[in-house]
Amino acid sequence: MESKVKEQQSIPTSKVQRAAKFISTGAKVGSNYMKHYAKKVVNPSMTKEELHTNNATDIYNSLSELKGSALKVAQMMSMDKNILPRAYQDKFTMAQYSAPPLSYPLVVKTFQKYFGKSPEQIYDTFTRSAVNAASIGQVHQAIQNGKKLAVKIQYPGVADSVSSDLKLVRPFALRLLNMNEKELDHYMAEVEEKLLEETDYVLEVQRSKEISSACSHIEDLVFPTYYENLSSDRIITMDWIEGKHIKEWLETNPTQEQKNRIGQALWDFYHHQVHNLMQVHADPHPGNFIIQNNDKLGIIDFGCVKVIPEDFYKGYFSLIKRELLINEDELNEIFYGLEFISDKDTAEEKVYFKNIFKDMISLLGKPFHVETFDFADNSYFEQIFQLGDRISNDKMFRKSRQARGSRHGLYINRTYFGIYNLLNQLEANIVTTKPEWLK
Amino acid sequence: MEKAPAKKTAKVDQKTKIITGYVEYVLEHGKQPASVFKFAKELKMKEEEFYTYFTSFESIKSAVWAKLFDDTIENLESQEVYKEYSAREKFLGFLFTLVEELKKNRSYLLSLYGGNKGIKNILPTEAKTFRHKFKDFANEIILEGKETEEIASRPIISDRYDEALWLQVWFVFQFWIKDSSPSFEKTDAAIEKSVNLAFDLMGKSAIDSFIDFAKFLYQNK
Repeated sequence: MESKVKEQQSIPTSKVQRAAKFISTGAKVGSNYMKHYAKKVVNPSMTKEELHTNNATDIYNSLSELKGSALKVAQMMSMDKNILPRAYQDKFTMAQYSAPPLSYPLVVKTFQKYFGKSPEQIYDTFTRSAVNAASIGQVHQAIQNGKKLAVKIQYPGVADSVSSDLKLVRPFALRLLNMNEKELDHYMAEVEEKLLEETDYVLEVQRSKEISSACSHIEDLVFPTYYENLSSDRIITMDWIEGKHIKEWLETNPTQEQKNRIGQALWDFYHHQVHNLMQVHADPHPGNFIIQNNDKLGIIDFGCVKVIPEDFYKGYFSLIKRELLINEDELNEIFYGLEFISDKDTAEEKVYFKNIFKDMISLLGKPFHVETFDFADNSYFEQIFQLGDRISNDKMFRKSRQARGSRHGLYINRTYFGIYNLLNQLEANIVTTKPEWLK
Repeated sequence: MEKAPAKKTAKVDQKTKIITGYVEYVLEHGKQPASVFKFAKELKMKEEEFYTYFTSFESIKSAVWAKLFDDTIENLESQEVYKEYSAREKFLGFLFTLVEELKKNRSYLLSLYGGNKGIKNILPTEAKTFRHKFKDFANEIILEGKETEEIASRPIISDRYDEALWLQVWFVFQFWIKDSSPSFEKTDAAIEKSVNLAFDLMGKSAIDSFIDFAKFLYQNK
């Protein structure tokens, strides 16, 4: 994918076509397993790594051709690094950057449908091919009155195919995430809701404006201006944010001080959203952040915003209080509230899962337990991965037919994993602020 | 079809009047008139006068199709960027615009071609003029595509490319008639997909290299 992005060859849209796509992937994955075991007969030292790499390639190829929500799921799985084998991760991380573009006549048609004008009539200049691909749309660059704009256009039919896509992804998710069906359905509803929201560009513009104005006081942050009169159901026009993605920026060898500054801006941004606004930009993948020349952090794409319910907020964040890990009764109450354990569990299961979650929480809450936390510390992340591996390979855990954790946790967890990962990439040392009531 | 502003300018626009009258009749009754006699009467016209313009209802339908094509091309050429399009994009643009034109007449087209009735047998007769016009247009695109090497020249098959594109127009039409997605987004995707496939097939591909190689081996064995 590093090579030139291929012009859109085909977007399979009907359910049958999409299903066919998945079936062919399934067949390939199956044959990868066969190859693997065949090779293993000859060469017993072969590891599963290679198998995972092959599978990841095939699955990724299929998902990126499908675009839309399937790609979104790929992105999401790549976020939760600790539940995917390494080979899958690397392949999926690529999904966060590129997907093949749509033809220009279709772009023109979309404009004509919503504005009755072609892009050339609206803007002074407009790039014929996409400069960037988002998961459910593509971005063109335009200039109007000397101002550089980013114009995001949604692929047709994406909103329609969300539900059927998720049904198709299900068997793969089951296989990849090692979840049982009940557990998966528990979360799928949440994912579907969020994905449908993401296809609603009118809502996105509204939320972008809301959150960016509510966060405008935070230092070192930059938000694009959104132009409502040039936006519609399928098109969003906003300022072009000049700068580099985190990976590229790091190649310019910024100083530790610069890295801390960017990292702190990121932390403050999320702190304010989670604890004061109670709604959060829940898509912290690297493509959504742009670092400008003056070391300010630009934030784009408010497609995925999670509103945090009050009850959930209280329970979830009181867990990160340090001394809470000792107070048994309070802990039980919260675990019940967050649906980590329920009355359906046996006594043995209750003890087992309580211990697991305690381990997880004390580990994940670590940055909150200190004044400043050094996210460059790879051993911390190694610990998280190890815990994830250990848990998902544990018989007791896999045997459980129970869905664990509130559905709201899905996006909040994803958000925090995302931030942690970004901060780790940045190797930033952060003043981990926390709200008054948690101190 | 615009509403006829023609009523008073008489003679010249009798033809348009008949076409508009026919379309309106179909729209209101959901089927075509019982006979030319009845239809002419409704238009306050003598039957023999009708025949100076059209010989049958089929020829009116054919004229409607021709007009759809002309409107499409007119609309297409009014888009400035059209001239800069590659062959593939031109054909995409044509289909997208055609669907827009069809949309303006969806009820008419549905009452004549909706369901599965008749969709097969209008191919030879009613769409004849449309087809001729389209083929001229398609050949232009193909020629241009060959010049820019977007389309590979192959013996025998490449003479039939216009036919293939015509079948594609027909496929899109049928797809659109049955499409029930909001603002026909599925049709847009179908166009995008099928045109890309068609042009990928017509373009230089592995098959050409394969045939070339096979030929070489055959001649040199």
